[in-house]
Amino acid sequence: MTYLGQVYAIVWKDLLLELRTRERIAAMGAFAVLAGVLFNYSIDATIVRPQDIAAGLIWMTLVFGGLLGIGRTFYLEAQDGAFQGILTSPAPKDAIFLGKTAANFVLLYVVALLVVAVFTLFFGLHLGTSPALLALVLALGALGFVALGTLFSAVSSGTHMGETLLPILVFPLLVPMVIYGVSATSRLLVGRPVAEVAGNLRMLAAFAVLAVFAGAGLFRYVVEE
Amino acid sequence: MPSKNVRTAGGVMAMLGVVGVLVLHWMVFFWTPTEANQGIIQRIFYIHMPSAVVAFLAFGIVAICSALYLWLGDDHLDQAAVAAAEGGIVFTTIVLLTGPLWGRIAWGTYWTWEPRLTLTLLLWFIYLGYFLVRASTENPDRGKRFAAVVGIVGALDIPLIHLSVRWFRSLHPGPVVIKPEGPTLAPQMMTTIMVGLVSLLLLFAGIFLIRYTIEVAKQTLDVRDQQARV
Repeated sequence: MTYLGQVYAIVWKDLLLELRTRERIAAMGAFAVLAGVLFNYSIDATIVRPQDIAAGLIWMTLVFGGLLGIGRTFYLEAQDGAFQGILTSPAPKDAIFLGKTAANFVLLYVVALLVVAVFTLFFGLHLGTSPALLALVLALGALGFVALGTLFSAVSSGTHMGETLLPILVFPLLVPMVIYGVSATSRLLVGRPVAEVAGNLRMLAAFAVLAVFAGAGLFRYVVEE
Repeated sequence: MPSKNVRTAGGVMAMLGVVGVLVLHWMVFFWTPTEANQGIIQRIFYIHMPSAVVAFLAFGIVAICSALYLWLGDDHLDQAAVAAAEGGIVFTTIVLLTGPLWGRIAWGTYWTWEPRLTLTLLLWFIYLGYFLVRASTENPDRGKRFAAVVGIVGALDIPLIHLSVRWFRSLHPGPVVIKPEGPTLAPQMMTTIMVGLVSLLLLFAGIFLIRYTIEVAKQTLDVRDQQARV
């Protein structure tokens, strides 16, 4: 089996599992919509317009809701001991990590698009002149986020603190993603020229590449017995 | 016994560091001239800046020892990493206490999203995560590996965090930052800074070595304890 074949097998298995249980996607999706409802009532529209802070709300919903699902990446397999089987398979550990990350990315990206759609509806946003670029900003941010989230989800599920540890480990590291992601999103939402977000896109890409490589390199030290 | 020599060396360095810190306080309060623009509050800088240097240096040691630990699997590297991390979080706490005290007078506010201040706060939380993963793992070897991963990823991310908080700052100009260094430095100020740097580095090195020998002893005892139970 080729390396990519092994990665693909993990991705397919995880997505199929999610398709059948729909646990994580349902939790993240419901979280996103309900957070939108709560945000609506937490903003006094006579003081601040929701559109002005929408980008920040979108990214915070994504981070909090995303962590809810990513934190349970290894939960189901740990419950019935299936992860031991994956680890003893001949697939290299970094292929397992990349597969898990790719599957999480698909889930989170679906949630990201849902968040944008729901917030557009709730807060009357306009997606600006380049929705495709907005989709790219979300994709790059989500990729870095799931790579770090998957690595530290493996760490936290090996501790007795479990998922409660995850935000403490991940939030300090997410600062670059939040800063560049929110800034690019708010600029695109108000229709600023594309050239203004080129730098942000590069930094988001750098963050994502760093997170994916660090995760792939370090994952085996987290899961080995 | 080498670990006894290490402990003696650590004790000597720590004592020299303590003497240095006492001398530093005398210099800060009685010897060095008051800075013209900022006045008396600038004197806290002689403690603040060397502490920040030590805090980041300690994290560098944590990251390098963690990476080498994962690579070579030698427990001594992990013991060195813990020792550096404990010293590091103490000095990071000093930076976070002295910074806002200075900022209250110089900037008119205890907290501002000044990039170096923000980075130090995040560094403190990365250290916290480092200790939490160690403390919340039943299998000590696993805890060591988890902590090493936290240390390495933290060190890789710190340059990006630094770039991003600086960039964010450039978007939102805040209160005017008066450079603590000042344009021209009186020779006495320079001497005080150097005394501060040398004493705090000595103090850290001493604490680091002592803590290292304690960690070596503790892990040896833990292993014996486990063997006795089996």
